[in-house]
Amino acid sequence: MKSSAFKKSYTGVTVLDMPAFEWCEGTVTAVIGANGSGKSTLAKVLAGIEAPDGRSRPLTGAAVGYLPQKSYAFRMSTERNIALNGSDTERMRELMAALKLDPVAKRKAKKLSGGETAKMALARILMGSYDLLILDEPTASMDMESTLAAEKLIRDCCSRTGCALVLITHSIRQAKRIADNVLFLRNGKLTEQGPAEKILSNPAKEETRRFLEFYGA
Amino acid sequence: MGSSIRKAIELILTGDKELLNILATTARVSLTSSLIALLIGIPLGMLLGARRFPGRNALTVLNRTLMGMPPVVCGLLFYMLFSGVGPFRHLQLLFTVRLMIIAQVVLITPLVTCSMETFTADIALPLRETAKGLGFGPWKRFGLLVNECVYPIFSSYLLAFARAIAEVGAVSMVGGAIAWKTNVMTTAIMQYTNRGNFTLGIALGLILLTLSLLVNIVLSLMQRRLSR
Repeated sequence: MKSSAFKKSYTGVTVLDMPAFEWCEGTVTAVIGANGSGKSTLAKVLAGIEAPDGRSRPLTGAAVGYLPQKSYAFRMSTERNIALNGSDTERMRELMAALKLDPVAKRKAKKLSGGETAKMALARILMGSYDLLILDEPTASMDMESTLAAEKLIRDCCSRTGCALVLITHSIRQAKRIADNVLFLRNGKLTEQGPAEKILSNPAKEETRRFLEFYGA
Repeated sequence: MGSSIRKAIELILTGDKELLNILATTARVSLTSSLIALLIGIPLGMLLGARRFPGRNALTVLNRTLMGMPPVVCGLLFYMLFSGVGPFRHLQLLFTVRLMIIAQVVLITPLVTCSMETFTADIALPLRETAKGLGFGPWKRFGLLVNECVYPIFSSYLLAFARAIAEVGAVSMVGGAIAWKTNVMTTAIMQYTNRGNFTLGIALGLILLTLSLLVNIVLSLMQRRLSR
């Protein structure tokens, strides 16, 4: 699945200049970079939440799912929130069990803790089927056990549905655990890309190396 | 104060016909105007809070300005428009309950609109991002937004009703406080006070407060039931 090149500017300042890119089906592509490097903007433009400069969408004809950084809990129970995105009860049970959401299934989603809300939001987006699924820091507020369970579900979703999965993350370790490919963004530009193993252990660019050293990769 | 409470109870227990007429007119004016204000203010407030369109800021400023409009100014405006020299004199609405309702709608709608706009503006962006990310179309997104707004709608109605039932400036100017026709609780209190009948004035005030309390209790119970 190819996305065309695009730019995104706010008040005349270009915050993202993305070249044409091919998102491989059935693989996880981790997008890493410092704050303000354009990761979330990339996610929003690909998902059609924000229009790029020129307004022509970089992806056409593809079903794109997007989980924002701060996902919204609708005013209903946890299980109804999850069921909003699909009626496959078997799949719902599977996701809720894997993320240990069963005890809070009937609880109002607005009363969930930050971590529980993140798990509910992940289960909800994984109920759908997409060609490209973009997850913006889905495990940022989860504990270790939940993070590992979420990562397993993310990988399983990718291999089960064959969707291309884009994972925006600050965790280099997470990228190492589940990503097949890595994109490194800096100041709104794609500076390095390639297989996760190569980029995360032996990056070609000095800025990528410094970033990885700082985050303890 | 004790004699006022006794008088209020006496008026209610004896089923004083004038009091019942005043209560019926008050209920008709307050409930109708607050309901109409709700029907206009909710979609308008949601539109202002959730969408970005040319003129949105101007509309928001205009609405906030109208919130501060003194009721007597509103009453004066309607008086001028509908009086014998006004452009709408042929409608013959001056000193009728209908015009009292219209004037109150103009006074109350900006309050409902602002209350809804403030709430919707807070949730619209994260709700839109999440719902759009899930692939939901505009109607499903709108349905979810309405579902989120149930409590604010109740609060807005309480606000609108409270303002309507307590308002005196506009209704006295356009209604004329005509006995058995356009006299509501607030205008009746003013009349009795002007005549020096403070006991009856306070008694009516107590009945007004009790009425407001009852409506608030009913709406709060409904709100609580919805939150379960």
